[in-house]
Parts: sequence; structure tokens; C-alpha cells
Amino acid sequence: MYVSSLSEIRKIMGYRQCDGYEILLEVSKIPSGYKITGEVKGRVDDVELFSFPRPDKVLVNNWQSWGPARVITKEFKLDFPKELIQKFGFSASIMPEVYFNNLISDYFIASEEFVIGALKSQIGHVYFRLNDDNVSVHSRYFGKTFHEWTPIEPVVILNLAPDDGLFYYAELIAKENDIAFSSHNPIGWSSWYQYYLDYDYQKMVSDLDKSKELDLGYEVFQIDDAWEVDIGDWIPNEKFPSLKEMADKIASYGYKPGIWLAPFSISETSSVFKNHPDWLVKDEYGLPVVAYENWNKKIYALDTTHPEAIEWLRKLFITLKESGFDYFKIDFLFAGAIQGRRYAENTSPVEAYRNGLKVIREAVGDSFVLGCGAPLLPSVGFVDGMRIGADTAPYWDPNAPDIGYPNAYYALRNVITRAFMNNILWWNDPDCLMLRKEDTQINDAQRELYTLVSLFLDNMIIQSDNLSYEIDMKLWKLIKKYKTYGRRRFKIKGLIDGKYTITSCGVNGCDEVIIEELTIPQYMVSYDTPRVELKKIVEKRTDGRTFNYYEETHQ
Amino acid sequence: MMERRWNLLTGEWVMVSAFTQARPTNPTNFCPLCPGGDEFEGDYDLVSFDNRYPSMKLDAPEVESEGIYQKARSNGKCEVVVYTIDHESAMSMMPIHQIEKLIRMWADRYLDLAQNRFIKYVFIFENRGKEVGATLPHPHGQLYAFPFIPKRIEAKLQALAKYYDENGRCAVCDIVDSEVKFEKRIIYENESFIALVPFYARWPYEVHIYPKRHVSTIVELTNIERYHLSKALKVVTMKYDLLFKQAFPYMMMLFQAPVNDISYSHAFHFHIEFNPVKRDKDKIKWMASVETGTWAFINPKIPEEAAKELRNVEVEV
Repeated sequence: MYVSSLSEIRKIMGYRQCDGYEILLEVSKIPSGYKITGEVKGRVDDVELFSFPRPDKVLVNNWQSWGPARVITKEFKLDFPKELIQKFGFSASIMPEVYFNNLISDYFIASEEFVIGALKSQIGHVYFRLNDDNVSVHSRYFGKTFHEWTPIEPVVILNLAPDDGLFYYAELIAKENDIAFSSHNPIGWSSWYQYYLDYDYQKMVSDLDKSKELDLGYEVFQIDDAWEVDIGDWIPNEKFPSLKEMADKIASYGYKPGIWLAPFSISETSSVFKNHPDWLVKDEYGLPVVAYENWNKKIYALDTTHPEAIEWLRKLFITLKESGFDYFKIDFLFAGAIQGRRYAENTSPVEAYRNGLKVIREAVGDSFVLGCGAPLLPSVGFVDGMRIGADTAPYWDPNAPDIGYPNAYYALRNVITRAFMNNILWWNDPDCLMLRKEDTQINDAQRELYTLVSLFLDNMIIQSDNLSYEIDMKLWKLIKKYKTYGRRRFKIKGLIDGKYTITSCGVNGCDEVIIEELTIPQYMVSYDTPRVELKKIVEKRTDGRTFNYYEETHQ
Repeated sequence: MMERRWNLLTGEWVMVSAFTQARPTNPTNFCPLCPGGDEFEGDYDLVSFDNRYPSMKLDAPEVESEGIYQKARSNGKCEVVVYTIDHESAMSMMPIHQIEKLIRMWADRYLDLAQNRFIKYVFIFENRGKEVGATLPHPHGQLYAFPFIPKRIEAKLQALAKYYDENGRCAVCDIVDSEVKFEKRIIYENESFIALVPFYARWPYEVHIYPKRHVSTIVELTNIERYHLSKALKVVTMKYDLLFKQAFPYMMMLFQAPVNDISYSHAFHFHIEFNPVKRDKDKIKWMASVETGTWAFINPKIPEEAAKELRNVEVEV
């Protein structure tokens, strides 16, 4: 149904009988907007809830971590290299057959006048199709049959510009899903953006030693890809000792041991692929579906509805945890949500994905879980941290294809456009800071701005450098100083026009960075000047009470 | 015993705590907040600590509902916020620099407590004087970190969100503009704040302090704004003390946006309310049946007159 203005949204209320299913929609008033709820019964593939006039400039969002969240105008054309569609189609979309033939935005869309977004993705996938003159709002259930009347994924329409509206939207999502996540936002180190696959135990020990020498103050030390025998065979290869030895070594430096894996990915060369073909998501002919290609291999998807696959997944994480790992970066998660046939037949890709995440969360308990390459909204409530942009890289290229490929520029763009999720849905992971001054094409301004934005937005701070290189210690000192201030409140102005003002407030006052032009980048920073400096000393008394002493320090 | 009980008649939480009842009445011969008292062996500057007699605790016991009666854990925090080591001082007598330090401590407490996801509202307040139930004269306030949004806060959020919906602007921003033009209810103004007897004052000498810039929490104030706020707090409390030439009893309350919940931060404007209970030098404005039972206040003092009296109290800071 078309509404000529969003103020007419009540017109969509009521019962509709569609091809194979029935739907009942309700619209209720909430502060600054409306909430659309409803129920559905029957076999449902794709429901168009309503459509409305398309504004010229909109902020559109991709479904998963690496995908772009960017402002586009009516002139915008999707420019995804054709040769990569086969390899990375499911990375770009949960429904590549729709994505590559239309312009779409997943979960939410915003303009200078409104924010419209889904509050949940537990069964279905809410997306927006940008047609020539209108935007249609869809809820996709991938052919699932609902035998009883079942609530649809609720959607809100907020009559607020995104600078305010997106933050309100995130709070509505958190409330709707009643989420909880770690109150601790860690600072640490990861191996990936220095060593990639060229990593071994000696290098790990060398950086552990160096980190103490430099007194970097990490809480987490996380080894990334390179330690495993194969994607799907999560046992250490010949370059590493046992899991327990690795974790014990990291813990002996006082750090929380962290490990990377891609739990829903199964490579064609792995023993899981050879021995358990029934554990994989299949196509209509019963053949395993290629989820993506990477490591010069075809990668298949674990069927997270298969009882044996679930038990394998559960044991995998229990083993990792028992070995001493307490921080899990789980990557390429979109593989768990590809379309296909699964053991539990009447399961949507979203439900299957959430089932996999639930198993992991149950296995690791309150360990820190960082989602990556992850469908955003279905992950809400299962992860403590979430990557919210493309991989960073030791280069800054505003002219590269904007398709979620490694690139520091696009990574930082998303850090800003998805900042509203931070500390409301999870801790945003801006991706690693590379603070080395050698073996990189990143210049001083790019490095400084990446660090400032991550700090000012109170994001996770994880460094990825060979610590034997010259490190920009001026920036690391700034990071350590900021961390002593505690948590922050921040605001962003300019999400639609692209000239960003980020104000970051904490006990030290309000600092500000104005980004005139992100591509170069061109920016100005102003630090608020504290008039009083207080040092906090926390005392735990024997009766269980906490005393927070604040004492003036003169600097 | 420590629990929350849901009032089916009003739709609000009531905190029931046996600890609170155990607290002592006004001690006369010693001060537990002075060094050498019950709480502190040695010196300090400012401190915020867990109340010995709380109605909420972070690790409050689990509870079970009874039939139609719903209960919930009182998993929050009650802290005593001590402003200074100087027993004889008060907000009105403290150096502005000390009030700035206090504001910074408030900001830290707000951010610190917000890290507990189940905390939904951090309410910072001060009861000054025995007329409002303060048990100790040593300059101090308190804070309650609630696991729910209290009823009156909810009412404020809804009213402010509704105004924003209807006007596309923050109500308090509009009030500030209007009061600056009208002038007659303003008792003090500086670059960043106005202090006024509000048009809708419920108490005879009620004063509100509003930041001129839209911020939803104290944390969002710049350092210079915090200095301006400390001046406003000092001036208002000095005027109160000089109005009847006595230590003026009041309830001071900071209203900030909720934490870990829907904050409506575009519509909610941080502010401070002073609710003083005196209507004259020796007369108390009691909060009795009408006020307590209906939340409807009858103010015997015309706000513009109260403002004039307070404006005319000359103070130098």
C-alpha cells in the first residue's frame, strides 16, 4: 500500500489476504513516530508492508558488519564488480537475488526527515527497496510456513533526523529485545592487520614481550586467523602449540586470552566437509551451497539446525573455553544465514543463524564475544562487541569499490555512520588501530583521525602492529589517558550532509572533532580544558560496601 | 528483606527495605561523616559511598512474586555523596571550586553507575535540613540508581517527548527563551544557566536551574559550563540562606536522561529543581493529602513574587 506521506501511515492498518497467507497490521503512536506491529499466518516469502515517496538523499545500510552504511542520492548506481558476485554474493546480502537487481537498504533507512527501521530480526529480514520514485518496506520470511498467527518483525517510523533519530532507534531496539551485554569495553591487541596468515607462536611471544616493555596496558591479547589446521578444523597447526599452552602463555602476561575463528564456515578441504557432508546447508538438489570463496577455497555453511552439527559447535566452544580462552572473535558469521535447505525444514535463514549464535553463547557463558562479518540485527543480544565496518587496512583509498573490501577509509566511514549502535546494542568495534609508522601507507593524519574518532565514540580499542616497529606512542598515550576518564557520552551532527561534528563528553569535559572532508581527511580537533582534575580511588570495605574517593590533583 | 513491590492501583514500584528502618535518627554528639566518625578514619576531599542503610543493592536478593502481587529485585544502588570534609559548610558556603569538583564527581557517578545494564535511572539529590528528613548536618547529598524509571521521571519524559512531537523543539529550550524575554521570574543568570522560579512552581520558593544549551545529562556540559553551573548553585543556595537569614531547608534534585533505556535525549533537557518546604520564616508548606495523594500541589506563593524576593536577595560570589 502506498502512503503519500508518512503522517498517513495509519492507512495501512487492517487485515489483508495475500497469496498463501493472511496478515493483520496495526499502527500505534509512540513518541516522535509510529510503531507497526502485526501478525501473519500461512506460507510467507516476501511481504510489502507499505511504500512512500523516495527522498533524494537517504542513508542506506547493508545487512552485515563489513557492508556500507552510506548516504546515496537518486543518481547512485550499485557498483559491485561482476566477477565478485559469485564469490561474495552472500556476503553482500542475505538475498543476493534481490540485492543485485535492486537498490536496497537492510534493517533501516534514514533521511533528513525520518528514520524507519526494524526493531527485531528473529525470524524475518526487514529491508527497504529503493524504486525510482518510492521506497517500499518489506519483511522477508523466505517461504516459511506459519501454522498459527505469529507476530511479524516490528517496524518503527520516527519523525526525526538521523543525528537524533538513529540513537533513539537503537534504544528502541535494545528495549524491544531486552538485551544485555558486557559492561566492560576492552582494550587489547590482535595479530591480523600486521601478520595476516604469516603468523606463528614465536611472533606471538615476541609481541607479548614487547607489549610489556612498552607498558601498553592491554586487557586482551587476541590471536587471529593463522593458528588453525583449516577453516572448520579448529585445532592448532604445526606453527602453534596446544590451545592450552597458547592461552596459558597469554594469561601469564596478565592478559585475557582471545582467539579468532569462523564457526559457521567449513572449507572444502576440511575434515568436517569430508566426513560430515550432511552438516552443511544445501541447495534444492541436495548439494552443499558455496557460502563464499576465500583462502583460495570454496567455503560452505554449517547447518546450525542439524543436531550433530550443533553438538559439534557446542563442544568446539566449550573446548576453547576450557583451554583458557575468554574472548572470542567469531567471524564470517553471515555464512550461518545463507539461504538453502536445512535439517529443520521450516526454519528461516535468520532463525538458523540465531540458533547457531545461541549455542555459542551458551557454551562460552559470560566470556566476551565479538561478532564480525555478522548480520547486524539478528545478532542483537548474543554478542558483546560487533564490527561495524569493512576491515581496516594499511591504506586509505576513497576510490576503491565500496563493497566491504578491506580499506581504512570505508572502515572509518562506517564507524561514524553506525556510531549510534555503540553502547546501546553492543560495543562497536571500529576495527584495529594500526599505530605503526613503518610498513604502512597510512599517513599521520589518517592514523590520528582513525584513533580520535574511535576514542571519542567510546569504541573498542584493539591495536594490530608488530610491536618491534616504531609505534606512534603519542597516540597510544592519548588512548591510555582517555581510558582513565571512564565511559563517555557522544553526539554526531551531519550524518546526512557528510560534514561530521563529533562531540565526546566524559568527566574531563567535552572534546570535539569537526571533519570537513573524510576522504582526504581534513579535520579540526578541539580539546576541552579541565578546570579541576580529580583522581578516583576505589576502596572495597570488608562489609561489602564500595567507597569512591575523589581527590584533587594539580597538573 | 529488600525487594520491590508493584502497586496494582497506581502502576508504580514501591521499594521495601528492612535496612532503611535500621538507620539511626539524628545523632547529636558525633558526625559519622567527619574523620574519626563511623565511616572515615582519616581525611578525604570528596567521596561517594554505599549507604549503610540502603533500599537497593547491586546484589539484592532474588524474590518471588506472590499470586497477583508482583515483586522484583531491588537491584540498584544507594550512595551517600559527601561534598567536603568541612562539617560546618554547605553548598551555600562552599568555595565555587569545591562545587566544580562535586559536579565532576556527579558526572563520574552517573557514567560509572550507567555501566550496570540493569540500572535505568541515576537520581542525584540532596535533602538539606531536618524539615526534609536529613539526618546529618554534614554537607552531603545522596544518589539512587534505580533499576526502573520512577513514575514522576516517566511523566517528565512523556511530557517533554510530547512537546517535542507537537513543536519540533525541546520544551525547556523554549522555556529558557521565553523566561529570558519575560525576565520577571529569573533570579539569577549567567552565560550558560538561568535560575528561575518556574511559572508552574509547586513550592513557595521553588527554583529551577536550566542550562541554556540543550544537554540531556550533566556529563555533556563543557568545563566552563560546569563552572557556570557551580556559580548558579552557589548563588541560589546563598539567596535561600539570606532570604530568612537561616540555614534554608530544601530538596535539591538533578534530572538527567535515563541510562540503558529510552532516553529521548533530543527532548529531555537536563535541569535541577530546588523544592524548599518553607513558605515563610517559621512556616512550613507541608506536603499533605492533596499533594501526596494526587500529586496536585497548591502553591500559596505567586511565583513572580517569590522570584522578586529571591532576585532582590543580594549575594556576592
